[in-house]
Amino acid sequence: MTSTSTDTSGEGPAPAAGAAAPPAVTAVEVSKVYGSGDAAVHALRGVSVAFARGAFTAIMGPSGSGKSTLMHCLAGLDTVSGGRVMLGDTDLTALKDRQLTLLRRDRIGFIFQAFNLLPTLTAEQNILLPLELAGRKADKAWFDRVVDVVGLRDRLGHRPGQLSGGQQQRVACARALVTRPEVIFADEPTGNLDSRAGAEVLGFLRASVREMGQTIVMVTHDPVAASYADRVVFLRDGTIVSELFEPTPDTVLDRLSQLTGGADGPSLRARHGLEG
Amino acid sequence: MLKTTLAGLRAHKLRLLLTGLAITLGVGFIAGTFVLTDSMRAGVNEKFARSADKVDVAVLPKEGGELPADLLGRVRAVPGVTDAQGTVRGDAALIGRDGKAVGDMPTVGISVPSGRLLRYGVDEGRPPAGPAEAVLDRDTAEREKFAVGQTITVLDHRQRPHRFTLVGILDFGIDDEANMRGAVGFDTATAMRMTGKRVFREIDVAGAADRAAVAAVAGPDAEVLTGERLGRRLAARAGADTEVIRTGLLIFGLVSVLVSALVIYNTFAILIAQRMRETALLRCVGATRRQLFGGVLTESAVVGLIGSVLGLAVGLGLGAGALAVFGGPDADIPTYGLTLAPRTIAVGLLVGVLVTVLSALLPARAATRVSPVSALRADLEPGGGRFRLGWARWTVAALSGLPGLAVAWYGAMVLDKGESALFTVAAGGGLVFLAVIALMPALVRPLGRVAGAVPARLAGVPGRLAVQNARRSPRRTATTTIALTIGVGLMTMFAVLAASVKATADEQLAEEFPVDYQLTTQWGGSDEQFLPRELADRLRALPQVAAVTEMRHVEARVESSGRGDRRESVGALTASSLGTVVKPEFTSGSLEDLRPGTVAVADPVARYWKLRIGSTVRVRTPRGPLELKVVGTTGMEGPVPPLLVTEADFTRYFGARDPSVIFVNARSGAAGEGARAAVEAAAKPYPTVRVTSAAEIKKQYTKAIDMMLVIFGALLGLAILIALFGIANTLTLSVVERTRESALLRALGVTRRQLRRMLSVEALIMALIGAGTGVALGVAFGWASITAMAEDVVFSLPYARIAVFVLLAAAAGMLAAVLPARRAAKASVVEALVDD
Repeated sequence: MTSTSTDTSGEGPAPAAGAAAPPAVTAVEVSKVYGSGDAAVHALRGVSVAFARGAFTAIMGPSGSGKSTLMHCLAGLDTVSGGRVMLGDTDLTALKDRQLTLLRRDRIGFIFQAFNLLPTLTAEQNILLPLELAGRKADKAWFDRVVDVVGLRDRLGHRPGQLSGGQQQRVACARALVTRPEVIFADEPTGNLDSRAGAEVLGFLRASVREMGQTIVMVTHDPVAASYADRVVFLRDGTIVSELFEPTPDTVLDRLSQLTGGADGPSLRARHGLEG
Repeated sequence: MLKTTLAGLRAHKLRLLLTGLAITLGVGFIAGTFVLTDSMRAGVNEKFARSADKVDVAVLPKEGGELPADLLGRVRAVPGVTDAQGTVRGDAALIGRDGKAVGDMPTVGISVPSGRLLRYGVDEGRPPAGPAEAVLDRDTAEREKFAVGQTITVLDHRQRPHRFTLVGILDFGIDDEANMRGAVGFDTATAMRMTGKRVFREIDVAGAADRAAVAAVAGPDAEVLTGERLGRRLAARAGADTEVIRTGLLIFGLVSVLVSALVIYNTFAILIAQRMRETALLRCVGATRRQLFGGVLTESAVVGLIGSVLGLAVGLGLGAGALAVFGGPDADIPTYGLTLAPRTIAVGLLVGVLVTVLSALLPARAATRVSPVSALRADLEPGGGRFRLGWARWTVAALSGLPGLAVAWYGAMVLDKGESALFTVAAGGGLVFLAVIALMPALVRPLGRVAGAVPARLAGVPGRLAVQNARRSPRRTATTTIALTIGVGLMTMFAVLAASVKATADEQLAEEFPVDYQLTTQWGGSDEQFLPRELADRLRALPQVAAVTEMRHVEARVESSGRGDRRESVGALTASSLGTVVKPEFTSGSLEDLRPGTVAVADPVARYWKLRIGSTVRVRTPRGPLELKVVGTTGMEGPVPPLLVTEADFTRYFGARDPSVIFVNARSGAAGEGARAAVEAAAKPYPTVRVTSAAEIKKQYTKAIDMMLVIFGALLGLAILIALFGIANTLTLSVVERTRESALLRALGVTRRQLRRMLSVEALIMALIGAGTGVALGVAFGWASITAMAEDVVFSLPYARIAVFVLLAAAAGMLAAVLPARRAAKASVVEALVDD
């Protein structure tokens, strides 16, 4: 009871960046059960994890490990069956739908795998959408900086249908960055992109953490994508089983193959076709 | 394939229901019309069969004639005749409790036979017998609060009052005249005395007499029928009325079905677009184009069949409801339960299924165009993207729109005013509407921007997103809104017509009818009635009265060169009032030229004989033929007889006659105070004389016009309701389609309420586009119709009423969005995000 905070978040040595600051997002004994009785599926079984401010964390795990569910619960998109989720000082599990919605609008940014943008709005309108929803004015200098970082200056007037997949994801990044949220959740942001466009997007995400101090939590199954993060958290069967700091594609892959039973190492390596 | 189709239908019961609902309402209206008119007719038949049962043989005059009184005696002498009674009919004005004759028309005096030949139902008391007894029809007795045993006063044909004891209250059944005017019944002798008729309208015979024997006595001027045939003939004549009601209602039913067709077309078009992947998958696993086409048509047939069956039930309900409204216990329409004829079922099912299948034809064809590869491709938004009018739509628009406008313009501006011009405008309107349907998808974007301007500003980001959504699939929005355009357009057109007719009547009343009070008698009786001359003199003597104008007229044989003679009304107005109080409008010539020996003729009369200034007409008068020179032609408005002569000529040739109308102008200011009471007092001794003011006349026609508008509104209401279902349907399908988009918005911080508001605003915009287009078309064609209808009409735009239509449409549109919006708001964000 006396040393709870450091114990629950202390999965290992803290990363150099933002070590002193309190975590941006904390999950405490979070469980999630779908269905009931015999049909009950335990997607999360008491997950406790903290995400440091100003850090880029990746959540990895095999299919069905619960990584997407964890992200949905952390982001206030889904309710938990047990435990607590804290965003800063706010207990998300105590909030009603409307409060959660406003919290998402004001304090969280999202990048999804696909269908990130409203087809009826231009790139600029899509970027500014969360601000407009909140009735906030965009900070012109900040907007310009974000737009320049993602390199979309000449594409602002285009609609999503007129943009490539990579450009669309960059618009989504800009939208997530422009509100200066406490944390950005990215769900397989490069899942639908070719490797070059994916590398670009991941580059921006890492740059936004390094240069703008942004906090990012990314769910991915791609070891290369995970290698852009400062820290990788590994999930299996609804629990956190391992973590890795300063990852490289190879270390991530090794850890993954250990998790899935060791023998798959080479095949996993082949499946992910480690080009970089 | 059939199994796949049916499985698909079962999986989407709600969708099926919503689609079917449009056809249910349309079929319901049509079936309801048949149920109502069939039930009415069955009631009429039943009643006639019953009453004709009592008559063995009936003697009727040939068309328009009468039966001489002595025929009755001869018929009675025919061997086998046990009883024969003649029917006497004429005016016998009942005096109401206020001392004035009841109703606008005098009540009918009818002979009521006693004994077996009494064909009317006795509700209370007994049939009249003797010179001091009378009976009343139920409606009149109830309205005037006369009860059996009381004394009533009835005027005879010379307007002399007679007092009778009310001994019974009768149900005159389906006797049109008695129902419309009210009836007073006497025994035959009294009826003859009161009505002044010495002839019979019908002789009913009881007994075992041979029809031929009676016919031999009746002679060639009479028709002799068996009771059974009489019943059938009367029933057929009454049936003609239900036929008119049926036709009128079916026209509105047709409008509803047309709207249903649009809604169904749209639903299927959207469904096919959304099912593109599913369809492509079917193509991948080997479904042929023909099978896909058949599948969609089967689906539509099932939807149509279910919708139509429900529609029949709705129709039965509507019919019952209408009967309950029109056919209460004291209604003129007899009913003996609901009639659901096999024909109604057949027509309902046929119309429902056929319309649904036809509406699904184009979407079904679109389904066959889906290539198998699209199953594998990433999903494109169905129906979205930029819309370009294809050549087909341009062709339709050009081929119908331009000629339509030309035809309507020709009808309104060039053709002679009247019915044919009106029909020309209507035809033009139909063509233009076709063009609007073709062009609508291209109009949706600009119209959406206009309609969405205010909501986008007021409702913030959700509002702006809604405007974008309403504009994003132009074809879909166009069809959805067009359905509403039909109802609102027709409604607006009727409103414009009503307002214009009213305004025209007001203006005419003010300009050519500058009188304060008008005195007339009851009209429409079998004998024309006139006002007593001395009443005009009494009115002139009143200090409150400034001017008294008498209009006199006679029906006289008129002839001119070229065409043969015909009866026309020749009349005169008080000389001092002509040109001052009453100012006839001259279309050629002028009032100054009207002197003794001359005549001003109304335009239709001039047209008939091709009369011009300088032509002569001959009028046969009791004092020999009168040659009159035409000095002018007059318009139809105002109290001016078709042949207007000077008062001096009129008196010289037709003698001093009673006036048919008296106009009274009160003195202005204090001098005129109490004028109404004074005029009423002067008219008091003459029970059939009624005093009306311009305001009362105005109120009367205003009421009639408004009533008409309410009826049309109620009948068009269904078409509008169906269109609203169309909006709900389109939105529901759009919500399904945009599940992920909604989820994204919710993730980004759009609250449930904002999401609901978004859908409401989208519905609002669609409703506004539809209603706005309807208003524009309705006003334009209302104007064209009113211009085509008659000369000198005043066009009036009922702003307030149209604004109410638009507001109602907008509110109803938002109401239509409630369920789809709730569905959108309830959807789980995570499920939608995960589900790909």
